[in-house]
Parts: sequence; C-alpha cells; structure tokens
Amino acid sequence: MRVGIEVGGTFTDLIAIDGAEVRVAKVPSTPAAPEQGAFAALEAAGIALARVTDLVHGSTVATNAVLERKGGLTAFVTTAGFRDLLSIQRQDRPKVYELLYAKPVPVVERRDVVEIVERMRADGAVATALDPGPAEATLVAALAARPYQAVAVCFLNAYANPAHEHAVAAIIKRRFPDLHVSCSADISREFREYERASTTALSAYVQPIIDSYIGRFEARLAREGFAGRFSIMQSNGGRLPAAAIRRNAISALFSGPAAGVTGAVRQAGASGHANLVTFDMGGTSTDVCLVTNGAPIIAPETAVDGLPIRTPVVDIASVGAGGGSIVWRDPGGMLRVGPRSAGAEPGPACYGRGGTAPTITDAHVIRGTIQPESFLGGRMRLDVEAARRAYAPLAREFGMSLEAIADSAIRLADANVVRAIQLISTELGRDPRDYVLVPFGGAGPLHAGRIAEDLGIGTIVVPQNAGVLSAFGLLAADFTMYETMTRRTLVDAAAPDAVRDAMGALRDRLAARFAALGMRGALDYQHTLQMRFVGQAFEVDVPLSTGDLDGLTEAGLRERFDHAHRLVYMAGGGAGLAGKSIEVVGFRAGATAPEESILPPKPPAAAAHAQRRVRIHENRAGRDCAVATRPQVEAAGGLAGPLLVEDETATIYVPPGWRAASDAAGNLVVRRTGDAS
Amino acid sequence: MSTLDPVDYAVISQALLAASREMGTKLVRSAYSNIVREARDASCAILDPAGNIVAQSEMVPMQLGSMNTTLRACLAQYPAHTLGEDDFLVNNHPFHGGQHLQDVFIFRPVFIDGELIAFAGSTAHHLDLGGGSAGLNALASDVYQEGLLLPPLKFSLARDWNGGTFERLLAANIRVPDQTLGDFNAQFAAKAIGIERVRALCAKYGVAAVKATMAELIAYAERQLRAAIRALPDGVYTGEDAGDDIEGSGAPLWVRARVTVAGDEMEIDFAGTCAQVARNINSPLASTESAVMSCIKGVLIGGDVPFNEGSFRPVRLKVPYGSILNPRPPAPVRARMLPCYRAYDAVMKALAKVAPMPARVIASGFDNALITCLARLANGRYRVCLETYGGGFGASASGDGADGIAAPLSNTTNSPIEALDMNFDYFRIAGYALNPDSCGHGRQRGGLGMRRTYEILEDGVDFSLYGDRFEIAPEGLAGGTAGALSRAEVWRGGARVDIDLKRGARLQKGDLVVVSTSGGAGFGDPRARDPARVRSDLEQGVIDEQAARGVYGQAPGTDAGARP
Repeated sequence: MRVGIEVGGTFTDLIAIDGAEVRVAKVPSTPAAPEQGAFAALEAAGIALARVTDLVHGSTVATNAVLERKGGLTAFVTTAGFRDLLSIQRQDRPKVYELLYAKPVPVVERRDVVEIVERMRADGAVATALDPGPAEATLVAALAARPYQAVAVCFLNAYANPAHEHAVAAIIKRRFPDLHVSCSADISREFREYERASTTALSAYVQPIIDSYIGRFEARLAREGFAGRFSIMQSNGGRLPAAAIRRNAISALFSGPAAGVTGAVRQAGASGHANLVTFDMGGTSTDVCLVTNGAPIIAPETAVDGLPIRTPVVDIASVGAGGGSIVWRDPGGMLRVGPRSAGAEPGPACYGRGGTAPTITDAHVIRGTIQPESFLGGRMRLDVEAARRAYAPLAREFGMSLEAIADSAIRLADANVVRAIQLISTELGRDPRDYVLVPFGGAGPLHAGRIAEDLGIGTIVVPQNAGVLSAFGLLAADFTMYETMTRRTLVDAAAPDAVRDAMGALRDRLAARFAALGMRGALDYQHTLQMRFVGQAFEVDVPLSTGDLDGLTEAGLRERFDHAHRLVYMAGGGAGLAGKSIEVVGFRAGATAPEESILPPKPPAAAAHAQRRVRIHENRAGRDCAVATRPQVEAAGGLAGPLLVEDETATIYVPPGWRAASDAAGNLVVRRTGDAS
Repeated sequence: MSTLDPVDYAVISQALLAASREMGTKLVRSAYSNIVREARDASCAILDPAGNIVAQSEMVPMQLGSMNTTLRACLAQYPAHTLGEDDFLVNNHPFHGGQHLQDVFIFRPVFIDGELIAFAGSTAHHLDLGGGSAGLNALASDVYQEGLLLPPLKFSLARDWNGGTFERLLAANIRVPDQTLGDFNAQFAAKAIGIERVRALCAKYGVAAVKATMAELIAYAERQLRAAIRALPDGVYTGEDAGDDIEGSGAPLWVRARVTVAGDEMEIDFAGTCAQVARNINSPLASTESAVMSCIKGVLIGGDVPFNEGSFRPVRLKVPYGSILNPRPPAPVRARMLPCYRAYDAVMKALAKVAPMPARVIASGFDNALITCLARLANGRYRVCLETYGGGFGASASGDGADGIAAPLSNTTNSPIEALDMNFDYFRIAGYALNPDSCGHGRQRGGLGMRRTYEILEDGVDFSLYGDRFEIAPEGLAGGTAGALSRAEVWRGGARVDIDLKRGARLQKGDLVVVSTSGGAGFGDPRARDPARVRSDLEQGVIDEQAARGVYGQAPGTDAGARP
C-alpha cells in the first residue's frame, strides 16, 4: 500500500492506494505537533503501518518554524566588514508610500554574527587569504558564547570559489562536532550575496527543527511496525528520502502547493494533457502554476515572510482569493475581495460558527452554486440565512439585490485568479489558450468554468478527489534534485563546449548525490541556461534537452536566447541581434529518478436518474441548473451546462455553453461547445 | 460610474495597475546600468490622453509624481491630435516640465482604431548624459554643464531609433553609450508592454469601459485624499527644515512650508524659502511638486490606495519663482533631490503640528539623496558607477524607524557587492554595515545609518558625490533626539586626508573612501522607552552603554535601570 499524507494549515489530508482500493481521510491539523495529525489521519483511514510500502509526507513544519521564528539558534559567519548583510538586505521598501515600514526580521540576530578576515574575487582568485589560526580563535570564542544549534557560513564571492567557506566549515566541525553547518556555496552557488546569505541562514535555521521532526516521525513509524520507504516532498515538485531532507531542510519549505501541481500533472497526464494551468483554490488563497510539456515552470527564487530563498522551486503565483476570503467595500467605494479571510474559525457566515463577514463561500450559497443540503457530500449543513444576513449591508451600499452582489463578488474573485494566471502566462509570453485548466482544492472546480472562459481556455480537466489532490501529488512525485552554478560564459565559438562542460559537472554532482542516497538507477536530466545580453543583470531561462546539448552550436544558442528574450520582453536587443554580445550566467540542472506511475482507480458508474434541477443566479442571470453526481454524468454519457456536479470533496460548476463528460482516466473533462452566456 | 459595472471597474482598474507594475518590472530586468538594473532607479505609468496619471508602477516616488507635468509639457508642444501610432515623446528639460537631466521621460501613445486612448510612460536615471564630467559634474554652475538637454521632442520610433537620427545624436553625446542606449531600449520595451496590455483591455471590455475606468480610478484616488484632508482640523500649520550651506551661500538653505487646511482642500505655500543657489542644489518645479505630493500621500493615505492624478486635485502649491524649489534657468539642478527632501521634511513637520498628530507622521531621517559616482577613463573607454544610499528612517509614535533603508522619495535598492566585483575592476567595496549609535533616541528610536567603504584599486579614479545632512542633523519629534550626521572621508596610507568629496576628487590606488549616512531621529522621550527594548538594542550592538545610561537612564544588566 502507498500512502500520501499532506499536513496543511487547517486540515491534514491522506490518500492511500492499494491496487483497486482507494482510501481518503481528512482530519484537523495539530499545529503544535503536526505528526499527531498525520498519525490521526492514518488511524481515521484504518491503515496498518506494517502494510505500507511507500509513505510520502508533506508538511508546513519548516515554513511555520520561520513564520513563528522557532528555528534553531543560528550563528552567521561572514566576510569581515559585512556583518549586517542580513539586516541591511536590499535597502528598499516594497511599499513605497508606507512611512511606518518595518523590514522583514532576519532569522539570525545581529549579535550572532561572526566576521572572519578573508576575501575572494569575482573570478575566484584569492584577494585576502584566510588565516586559519586567527579564524579558529575567532570562531571558537564566538560559537562557545551561546548555545548555538546551527551555523550558516556565507563569504563574498564564495559562489566563484568556496575554498574559504569549506575551510571554516572544517574548523567548526572539528571544534564543535554537534553543530550543523551550512555553507552558502553548497546551498545556492549563485551570485548576489544578500539573497545567497538569506538562503543559507534560513537553511541553517530550519535544519535542527526538520531534523528533529523527521526523527520523531521515523521513531514512531518504527514503533508501529513500518518497514517501507519514507520520503518527504520538496518545493521543487519532487520528493527525497527523509534521510536526505534531514540534511537539506530548505528544499522542503513550500512542499504543499508543489505537491498539488505534481498531482495535477499526473492526473491530467493520464487524460493526455501536458500543457496545464493548475488552479488550486482553498479556504484562504489560490495557487496557480503553468505546466508546459508536463514540466512546471521552475523559478530560481522564492521568499518566506519577506526573506528571499534562492533555490529552484515550482513557480506558483498566489492570490488572496479563497472560499473564506472576505468581500468588502473600501473607503473609495471599490468592491474588494480578500486578502483578509474568515479562515477555518469562525469561517464563512453560512458555516454557522459565529462568522458574520461576507465571504466567497457565502456568495455561492446565496447564488445557489453551493447547494446547502449537499455541501461536502451532505456532511456539513449550511445556514443560508446567515449568508444572506452577511451580504445585506453590501447589497444596500451598492444598491443591488443580494443575488447580484453575491454574483459580483464571485466574478471579482474570478478576475483576481485570472490576474494571477496572466502573471505566470501572458507576462511570461505564454498564451493561456494553448493550455487546459486543471482546478482542484475545495473551491477550484466551482470557479474554473468562468475563469477558463475569461482566459479563452476551451478545456477543463477536473481530477478525481479534487479536494485532496495535494496528498495524491505526494504519491505521484518522482525523486528530484537540482544543482545550480553561476559561471559567466560569453557566447562565442567556444561556448557550446563550455556549456557542455558546465552541465556535465552539474550532472556529475547530481549523480553523486543520488548515489549517496543509495539510488543508482537511470536518471532523467533537465538543463536550463540563464542567459542575458552582456551588461544586463537579469537572465532569461533557456531550456535545453539532453539532445539539444549534444548538438549545440553558437548560432543555436543565440537563436534560443533571442526567442526566450522576445517571449518575455517583447523585444530582442534593440537594433537587432547582430553584434550584440550574449552571455550565459547561470547553469541549472535537474535530475529525476522516475517512480512507477500510479493513478487512483476509476470509480464505478451509477444509474442516470435522480438528477435534480435548481434555480441559480450566476453571471448576471437567473438560470435553471441541473445537479448531478460524477457517476451520473458518466452514466448519461455527458451532460451540458448549466450544471452542478457534486462529489465528496468538491463541487464542479459547468457554465452554459460547456459540456462535462467522464473520461477513461476517471477525470471529468469539461469542454466548451458554444457561446458563453 | 453609473454606467460602469462595479466588477468591470474593479477588474479593469486592477489590470491597469498590473500593467504598469509589469512595465516597471520588465524595464528593470532588461536594463544595463547598475543604477537601473540593480538600484532600480526607474518608474513607469499609464496616463490618459490629457496627461493625467491613471496608474503607476510603485518604484521611485520622486519620478512618479511628475509623469503628468512632464507629459503635459510635451503635449503643449505636440498636441495629442497631431500624434501618430509610431511617435514617441521625450523630455528631460528641468525648465519645461522635466526634473534633472539624467531622468529622461519617454511617452508613447496608445491608439485603438485611430483614437488616442492613453499614454505609456517611463523614466529611468541614465548613467551619463554628457556634460562636464563622467556621470556627475558636481561643480556645474549652470544646467548646460550638466549634460544634454532634451526639451519636449517628438520622434518616430521606426525612423529615429534603432540606428536612426535620435539614437545616433544621443550616442554621440554620451560617454557610456552601450549601457545608456541599453537602458533606453529597456524603456522602449516597457512601453511596448504597456501599449499591448491597454490594447488587450480595450479589445476585451471595450474602449468605453476602459476610458470610464480610467476616469473613475482618478476620481477614486481624489475621493480618498479629500476624505483624509477633511478629517484634519482646518487651520494653518507651518514647518521648516534646512539643508547644509554650500560654498557661497554662507547660511543653511532654508525651506519653509505653510500648510493651510480648509475643508477637503489643502494649500502649501513655500514663501520664505531661500533663493536659488549657484550650485546644483536647485529643484525644478516638477520635482518640488512630486516631493510634496509624495509626503502628503504617505502621511494622509498610506500604501493601500493607488497614487494618480486624483491625488493632486485637492492640493494647491505656491512656490516662489527664483527659489531653490522653483529656480530660474539656467540654474544647475542635478542634486534637486536635496531641496526636495527639505520640502518633504518641512511639510512633514507642519503636518506634525496638526492635533491630534496624524498616525503616519514620522520624525526626520536620513531623508537625503546621497549619490556617489566613481568614474575612470582607461584605454579610451569610460567606466561609470553610480550608487545611491540608504540611511536611518525616522521613528513614529508607533514604532522605531527602519535601519539602513532607502529614503522616502527614492526607494532605490543597493547594488550587490558581488555585482560590483563582477563589473568593476578599479574599486572594491571593503565594508558595508550599519553604523551603531547613529540613531536618534526616543520612546521610539530612529533607524541606524550605514557605512560603505570603497577601496580604490587603480590610479586615476574620479570620485564625486552629493548629499545633505553633513552639517545639519535630522531633528527629533515630540522629545526624541536627532540622528547622527552623514560623513564622507578619504584615507590614504593610514591617515585621513583633507579632501572635500563634494567638489569631486581624483583618487589613487590604495585610497579608502568611507561614506557614512545619517541615522533617523527619535520620537518621544527616551526615558519612556521600554527598558526591554533598550536592553535588546544594547545586546545587539545597536547602541552602546553610554547611550543606555546617559540617554535612556538605564544601567545595563538590570531590569528597572536607573530611572528616577
């Protein structure tokens, strides 16, 4: 049996697949000790750990350790003269008119910074040599002063030559064998010292927490007879053995959203779709991601609590629009959605737990697109009157009926999601019309129809178990690692060989890391060059397959770069490419050890009777709408909108002009058949 | 508004804001000079056909606040109905709606079926536009010595750029054409994106809905500011602030603001402000307006509401002609940010006298454009590095000022040390840190200033700078103390040498230049500061024991301290 357990902020989701048998569980999370929620989910699903061969886990433990500043006490070792790297940051204010601005708080305090005399140059040559004697004396005095658990080492230009960092790490390991040490060149071998230092400090800071969390988890698994493989989800969309994550905690920081994307890729892939916009709408926010040829876009950098993390991650755009998002009128009279949310407690007004603020879920209840008696398979009753009361003030202020203001709120939430999708598609030069929309999460399938219409997308693929797709994504994930490197390489006749050399070096490192985990099977490699015109500071990604790499020419490099640059900037290099120098600045290689494909079995069809009809108010009009279950849609050989399809974890809305049908992979495929209305 | 669906309005306005953000991001990411690509000294906006700002990228407040004035000066020369799709308008003229020469504003019209719908505008601080010396001519005595003047001009993109007349004329007059033309190209690329996005919105929602949204978005910002002004008690409030005296002025450069609040409108009169000076510390009117509007927006509205034309409408400015805030030609204006910051502080101090004091009033801080320029000519080729600085932010009633942060009107980022190491071989940053004890003290303390040390690696490096707060420190508010002064020193062979960097200097290999920026001033009585926070500042090395005892009256290591 294979089991995925995803610990979210509110709920812990589980999916277990064993041949033809699928079990799903959703239990409340236990933030103080997340493993309790995980084991409660196992119990709720009635799973005996001795039978589990493959357990994959994703959690918010690392993220919470940062957000709550509960990581290990960390010292930061840097080049003399630069002790305030982590405090100064980039010196800017993200909100320019905010006079009461406070900077993101670094995870290392000023007093925990140790300065060492040394300096590398940008080309990796030594400008000031590290003198081991004084360095050791300084380190010993500083690191003995407080009960440190971890040390982050980041020297200037260490990306070009890590010798000084490694020398210092060796001293620390010799004198303080119990201290965990992270060197910047090992965590993120790229230029720009603040971003690299921040990544290294965060990595060191979460390391002791992740290490002890996984340790506790493994111990309990062992006590309960588990003898299978235990792995952890990463923010790059792949997993790693738990033992490896204990040494590389930073890669597990945003595993939840990445798991959803991986699940969507696998499920939609089974229906033959490889170009996807994934759309995960939950209680407080929506995450969207663009997937091209089965591969999510990988971003070189992300941030937590305002602190940058320079490590390859699945590029997910988030927007504060979820079922619990609060709808309001701002002082200038504009209708707004979010980012404040009613959260799980008290939740939307219709939950009847004391919430009074109007939310998106309440708007659905008023419009009729959520049917109160059958919400979540009828397991939760909704208070329609409470939802209407919550919207009464807004209806008055805008001079609209309750149905019209509720409908306006949902259309505005849809527009916010559309904006987020444009951010990862149109703004990156990709046309969303070339993609299918894959909605999941509790609310995604309800909104997908109108969002697809707005973007000109003609096909929507709603996965099975859409409400717990992230947990499935854990099971579907391959083992994945990335290596990156900054090495400026001018594009000239010698460049193709230089690129092959650099990528070869990265592949060797990846192969060695997999071998160190005892994984010696064949690896799939992906290569990305980060290129720019000489003189620019930001690079565009230029992907290369293994085949591309073998036949690479100077002209080919220039063409690929020109194409990529035009896609993003709508411009090449001014007067044209001729004569403009181009360089490769960064190299990124990914290695994947493929897992056997796994899909949940398709549920059986049901008799095509007992469809209900209800009255809804949707997209500015009252409509007669059919209500069906997924098996009913299948039994009927497909049904046309307007239609609500209800299942255990999510409701799907099919607008007029669209038609829903089940396919062989068990997904519900919704296609545009006519004009919208 | 009555015909505009509230959802369409919200959606189109968010899309316009997003389009200007995207323009800004892509301008920076495709730029070449360190001042644009690393420090992000650039801004973008979408304006309506009359030159009203509709939406802007929130980057550099100083540049954003004059997009309208700068475009209108172009439209006065080339009326909107005479423009064609391929045209672009350029302006950097300080006495025709521009700011300082280095900020070149470019606008392109957006047409739909022959109808002018909007303008896409951008500006970027260019590394070198000619003039008396590379990058920065600190001693210019008139505007002609500061570089190439571009009065409002109209060109055709197809004909005059990409090897055309304007590009060649520009290239012939500047010292680092690769980088500067690259930055111009980044400006053009940003505008192409703005045009494309506005067109797509018109195609989707119709021209009428987009035009109605643009008008309503402006009215929306205006309503918000009027409501905030109405909440202030009517009255006259005055504030003044002074810049360091300069060669020949013999006295500090006083800026005086008289703010009259009447109903939902505000008038600001700068009568009593000192006369223009012979050095570059003069602010063109467009810059002055921009600085004042940024202060009012920051104090009365905060960050959530977009800044656009509507923000200007309830406010009237009276600025004496011939003063440092509205000089006569041909005054040099390069360091126009300095008097602008004094105007900003004078208005802030006036607003601090409103009772009750608005919550977003802050004490004075670094509030300063400290710019250093390192230039070198070698093998017939100029290299120029311009750097902008941060310092300490002033404290407010509710919190400490931020340490080491860009000043309120600029918001530029620092250049990574590693980016400079990669690009320049004639100097290296030898140290970059916060400056302990540079903050003003108070119930809330000011932010710390910073110190950046340059090690000169070759002979013949021209170093120049401009900046303020070298002689007059930022003042505390409500009993808080002043922040520390800025300093700039040259060290040679272990000894300080007497070089006035404000006059520019040729440095030699081995020299060290140490630039320290002022800290922010404090707010409220230091003795009322929470002892735990004093102790924490002491532990973190932010303040020393002397300050803890003397200013805060607290002995280290005890809980209660030595409070009377």
